[in-house]
Amino acid sequence: MAGAGGGSNDVQWCFSQVKGAIDDDVAEADIISTVEFNHSGELLATGDKGGRVVIFQQEQETKGQPHSRGEYNVYSTFQSHEPEFDYLKSLEIEEKINKIRWLPQKNAAQFLLSTNDKTIKLWKISERDKRPEGYNLKEEDGRYRDPSTVTTLRVPVFRPMDLMVEASPRRVFANAHTYHINSISVNSDYETYLSADDLRINLWHLEITDRSFNIVDIKPANMEELTEVITAAEFHPNQCNTLVYSSSKGTIRLCDMRAAALCDKHSKLFEEPEDPSNRSFFSEIISSISDVKFSHNGRYMMTRDYLSVKIWDLNMENRPVETYQVHEYLRSKLCSLYENDCIFDKFECCWNGNDSVVMTGSYNNFFRMFERGHRRDLTLEASRESSKPRAVLKPRKVCAGGKRKKDEISVDSLDFNKKILHTAWHPQDNIIAVATTNNLYIFQDKMN
Amino acid sequence: MYSSSRPDSSLLYRDFQCSQLVIFTGVNSGYMLGKGAKRKHEENEDELEGAAPAPASGEPADGPSKASYTLQRQTIFNMSLMKLYSQRAPADASLERRVLINNMLRRIQDELKQEGALRPLLLPASSPPEDPADEGFREAQPAFAVPAAPDSCLTPASLLEDDTSLFCTSPPPHGPPRPAPQAAKDSFSSALDEIEELCPATATTSPSDGTPSAPLSTEAQSKDKNGSQRPGGSASPAEERTSAADPAPPNGLDMSPSAPPSSSPSSSSGFLTDLALDDILFADIDTSMYDFDPCTSGAGAGPPKVAPVVTADDLVKTLSPYSGGSPSSGPSQPFKMDLAELDHIMEVLVGS
Repeated sequence: MAGAGGGSNDVQWCFSQVKGAIDDDVAEADIISTVEFNHSGELLATGDKGGRVVIFQQEQETKGQPHSRGEYNVYSTFQSHEPEFDYLKSLEIEEKINKIRWLPQKNAAQFLLSTNDKTIKLWKISERDKRPEGYNLKEEDGRYRDPSTVTTLRVPVFRPMDLMVEASPRRVFANAHTYHINSISVNSDYETYLSADDLRINLWHLEITDRSFNIVDIKPANMEELTEVITAAEFHPNQCNTLVYSSSKGTIRLCDMRAAALCDKHSKLFEEPEDPSNRSFFSEIISSISDVKFSHNGRYMMTRDYLSVKIWDLNMENRPVETYQVHEYLRSKLCSLYENDCIFDKFECCWNGNDSVVMTGSYNNFFRMFERGHRRDLTLEASRESSKPRAVLKPRKVCAGGKRKKDEISVDSLDFNKKILHTAWHPQDNIIAVATTNNLYIFQDKMN
Repeated sequence: MYSSSRPDSSLLYRDFQCSQLVIFTGVNSGYMLGKGAKRKHEENEDELEGAAPAPASGEPADGPSKASYTLQRQTIFNMSLMKLYSQRAPADASLERRVLINNMLRRIQDELKQEGALRPLLLPASSPPEDPADEGFREAQPAFAVPAAPDSCLTPASLLEDDTSLFCTSPPPHGPPRPAPQAAKDSFSSALDEIEELCPATATTSPSDGTPSAPLSTEAQSKDKNGSQRPGGSASPAEERTSAADPAPPNGLDMSPSAPPSSSPSSSSGFLTDLALDDILFADIDTSMYDFDPCTSGAGAGPPKVAPVVTADDLVKTLSPYSGGSPSSGPSQPFKMDLAELDHIMEVLVGS
C-alpha cells in the first residue's frame, strides 16, 4: 500500500468529505458520469450528465492538522459539452461527459481531455492571481481615457488579485466518430491519444484537430452480422506502441501499432474459457467487459465484467492470473437483473498507487477492494449515515442466503438504484474518490 | 426500462445456483423484485429434482425441468423482444446493449431450431428500434438491400407445406435470419419490403380471410408512416427503412381490416415477425396475452403443453384486438399461444 506498507485490511478507511446535493431528489444533470485524479493527485475532476466538469483541488496540508491530508475543495467548474442536435439523423447528442483524462503537467497550466459521445475537447485550466494595473490609456474600470488628458506616462505593474481559475477549450476534436465514444486514453508519448467508440478506435495528435487515424475497425461489412462491440480501450502506460481494447464478448485484444497501420489483427488475445458449470442464458452478457485498466507498472491489466474483476498478466493470454468475485450473490438473480436492465450497468475499476489493491463498485452504494497479495477483500458503503468526519467505515457484508447474521444485508434488500459505477484512487496516497449517483465521496486512510 | 402496462406479470425463472424457484413480480423498480414471493418448497420439488443446471444448449431430460427451462427461455425471449421493440428515446439506445440482446435472441432462436428438429421458428429479426445514429444501418442499405433476392428472407413454400407441427419452417437460404442490431437493415424489414415488392406482381394466394394479413399490411403502412418515405407498396431498398421495431407504436399501427391482403405464402417470415411484434405491442392493449402466470398454467398442471392445439377460432379471437375489438380470448394458458399461434397463423396463411 502506498505509504502505509500494510494491506487493505490494515488500512482503516475513514470518511473525509462528500460533495454534491444532499436531498434524495436527484437532478438528472447532476448524475456523476466520470471521476479522475490527475497525475499528482492534487486535482480531482468529475464529469456529470449535464456536461459540466468540476475540478477539486487538494489543500496543502496545514500545520494545524498533521493527521489528515488536505481537503479537496472546488477549484474550477465549467461547462465542457453542450447538448447538440444532429439534424441529419434527427438525434440529440447527449452532453454527458463519458470520460475525463488528465495530461501530465508540463507548465503552470493543467490540461485535460473530456469527451461526450461524439466530441473530445482539450481544456486548459490556468490560474490567474495577478493583474496589471496602471494603464495609460485605460481607467481602472476599463473605460478609455481621452488621450488628450494624458500628461505623464507610467509602466503598468502587476498586482496580486484574488485567485481566478480559468478553463478554456484549446482543441476540439470532432466528427471522427460515428458511434458513441466510450474511452479516451493519453499515450505515454504525451503527444497522441486514442478515442474508442463501439466499433472503431482512432488515434489523434493533441495538436491536430482536423485529422485522426483509424487504427482499429471491427465494423462488419454487413451490419446484420454484428455481434461484438468495443467496450473500452487504453494505451499501455510505458510502451507508446501498445494498446488494448476489450469487447462485449469478454475478450481483450492487445495491439501493437508497429505491426501495421491498421491494428485489426491483434497481437495478443486474452480470453478465459467459459466455466461450463456457470453457463446460463446470460453468460455472454455478464462476460461483457465494462472497463480495462493497465497497472501502473504496465505488467498487468485489470478487466471488470458484470460479476467479477480479473487481473491478467500481459504475458499470459489464456486465463487471468487473479479473479475476484465482486457480487457473486447476484448470479442467481441474473434474470431479474436482465429485466430491469441492471445487467447492462458498466462498472469501472481502478488500481491503487503501487498496484497492490484494486477497487470497484457495486450496488446499494457498496464498493469493494481486493488486496492482491493477501487475497483479502473488503466491502464498504458510501452513505450519508457513515459521513461523520473521520469516522471509520464499517465493513459491510451481504448475506447470500440462509440465515442472515446481524449487520448483514440480504440480497433482496439491496437497492439496485444506488450503484457505484465510478471510483478513483489517488496515484500515491490512500485517498479514494467514490461516486454515487449524484454525490462524490472522498475517503482516506486513518493516519495515526 | 421499457414502458409496459402489464399488471403484475409474474416471471418465473430457474435459479440455477440455489435450487430455489422464485417468482418475481414488478418490472419497473430498481429494487430487486420487492414483491417477490418464494414458492414453497413442496410445490417446486418436482421441478427442481433432477433438473440440469443452466443447460444453455442441452436440454433437461425430464419433463418438469424441461418445462421450467423452456418457460424461462420463453420468458427471456419475450423480455428480449420487449427490450428491443419498446419505445425508447434514441439517446438511450446503446449499441452494445442492443447487440447483446440481439445475440440472446439469436441464441434462443438457434436453440428452438435445434429442438424443433430442424424446423426453425422464424423469429423476428429482432431488430431494435431504429437508431438513426447508427451509420451502419445507412451504409448497409444500398449495399445489401438490392442484392437480396426477393425470397431470400422468405420461407420457401415447399418447406411450409411440409410443416404440420408446431414450428414454422423458414430457414432463409443464407441461414437463420440475422437480426440487425442496428435498426432497419434486418431480415424482417427486408422481408417486408420484399413482400411489398411481390404485392403488385404476384397474385396473392393467401386465404381470403384478410384479417391475418391485416397486421402485415398495416405494419407496412405504419412503417411507411414512420418516415421511411417509401412510395406505398413498393419497396425501395435503397431508401432508409425504419425497422418494424421503430416501434410501430401501437398508435401508429393502423389496424384497418380493409387493408389489402398483401401477403403471399412466402411472406410468412415477415408476418411472423409482425405477429411477434404485435404480440408485444398488444401486451399493452391486452395484457392477458402476456399474462403468463406459471402457477396456473405451468407447474401445477404438469408438463406444460409446448405444442398445444389452438383452433382457428382462437386465432381469430386473438386477432380481433387488431381491429380494435375487445379481446375475447381469455387469459387461459396465454403463454402457450406465442409459438402455437404463430404456427397456426402460418398455416392459415399458407392455406393448408
